[in-house]
Amino acid sequence: MIKTWELDPNFKEEIMNERGGEHLTACFQCSTCTLGCPIIDYVPSYNPRKIIQMSLLGMRKEVLSNPDLWVCLICQTCTARCPQDVRISDLLGAIRRIADKEAEAGNIKIDSSRPIFDKAFQHQLAKYGRLYDMGLAKEYYPKREGSFFKGMMAMMNDYKDFGMRMFKKGKMGPKAMFPEKVKDLAVMKKIFEEMGEK
Amino acid sequence: MSVTKLAYYPGCPSDATAMEQDMSTKAVFEKLGVELVEVEDWNCCGAAEVEDPELVYALNARNLAIAEKEGLDIVTPCSICYYNLERSNIALKADDELRAKVKGIDSALDYNGKIKAKHVLDVFVNDIGLEELSSKMSKKLNLKVAPYYGCYIGRPPETAFDDPDDPDSMDKLIELMGGEIVPFSQMKTLCCGGPLMMTRSDIAFEMAMKILDTAKSAGADCIALACPLCGMMLDCKQADIEKALHVEIDMPVVYITQLLGLALGIDANELGLNKNAVDTKDILGKVV
Ligand code: SF4
Ligand code: SF4
Repeated sequence: MIKTWELDPNFKEEIMNERGGEHLTACFQCSTCTLGCPIIDYVPSYNPRKIIQMSLLGMRKEVLSNPDLWVCLICQTCTARCPQDVRISDLLGAIRRIADKEAEAGNIKIDSSRPIFDKAFQHQLAKYGRLYDMGLAKEYYPKREGSFFKGMMAMMNDYKDFGMRMFKKGKMGPKAMFPEKVKDLAVMKKIFEEMGEK
Repeated sequence: MSVTKLAYYPGCPSDATAMEQDMSTKAVFEKLGVELVEVEDWNCCGAAEVEDPELVYALNARNLAIAEKEGLDIVTPCSICYYNLERSNIALKADDELRAKVKGIDSALDYNGKIKAKHVLDVFVNDIGLEELSSKMSKKLNLKVAPYYGCYIGRPPETAFDDPDDPDSMDKLIELMGGEIVPFSQMKTLCCGGPLMMTRSDIAFEMAMKILDTAKSAGADCIALACPLCGMMLDCKQADIEKALHVEIDMPVVYITQLLGLALGIDANELGLNKNAVDTKDILGKVV
């Protein structure tokens, strides 16, 4: 049931003001995006067409707290097939960024570890300019599991076979223990200060 | 041949999980007489984890600006790096305000839109061309291959260099090398699940499994691919997928640059064919 008193008439504009969200109102609800999306085979509730419809109606809170936002693969299949050039893949990214800001402000809860992962990834780039897998894992797992110990256990569980496999192929030597750094780290810092999530 | 020198953007997995892709890319271009100049002090493109487009543009403006100073187009073997570099290129070229904003961060991001970013597959098939490649091939690949394209080669439209539903650049290249394409069209452009590997591995594993399983049922000797994240899912993680889903797959997965290197007569170790997680010995036996 739609509770009209809970609708936010400005939600449309809020999305359209984000980069990637500009084409929201072009959607004519044909469902091509949903039918071609690979995720619907695994998450039955997943429905990008409906997320757009709810956004157009102003169902801000329902949209922003929908955990399905965080299983999108950013694979661009929907964008390639949409007859209205809605650019859904980018649009969902715009909605995720609004959701993330709301979660940071304590207004909603996100039921997914994806924001934690994405942030941990970005922290590596801000610090080193390149991806440092070990640093990423060391930040991501404890935050996801809620404690350092549990995080290390989960990491071990995911990585013990994998690590050995890569080690045997010479892909995870002592070098992998340390970050590869960009020389001009000052510029990386500036990029993240000016453009990064605050 | 029109291409003689390119800026090379290796991408973050190039000295780790995808080192064989880096090795084979360098070896192949050398054999083809194309000089690669590594983008000096390159930084990460933002991969799939940096969601804010403006942040992606700023990160890639630096890489583009470095190559622009050398007056060279950038080539990368990674589909995600390619997508991020080229979409940044397009956005920065089209929008003076954005370019000014990015340049305002630091003069190192002063990019003037004079170059292009390219995927290796695009350079091989469309710039160097099949005829030229064919004239340099000395070996025949008696292989049944499942060509896997994944995302970003045929979509989104503005950066795509192949068909979104039925891409064929890799097919053509494989056939040119003497390989046979197995029936694989439904899987060609399906996402490998990589972006969910760390947060929903249950979904990611199932997705990768579907691709591996289809290649196996089709009787492929190997899967060929053109992206290190796909390589991570389908090759490096294959044993984890087998364990988690209680299946046996044992499907060799190689980069298209490795196959091309073999056809060009380059030594297998130089192409890193001893680095792929699933053993590639059976493939090597079929190169004559
Ligand atoms: S394919 Fe495009 S127009 Fe159709 S429902 Fe999806 S977003 Fe709307
Ligand atoms: S980008 Fe997201 S919504 Fe679009 S098809 Fe891929 S998984 Fe589905």
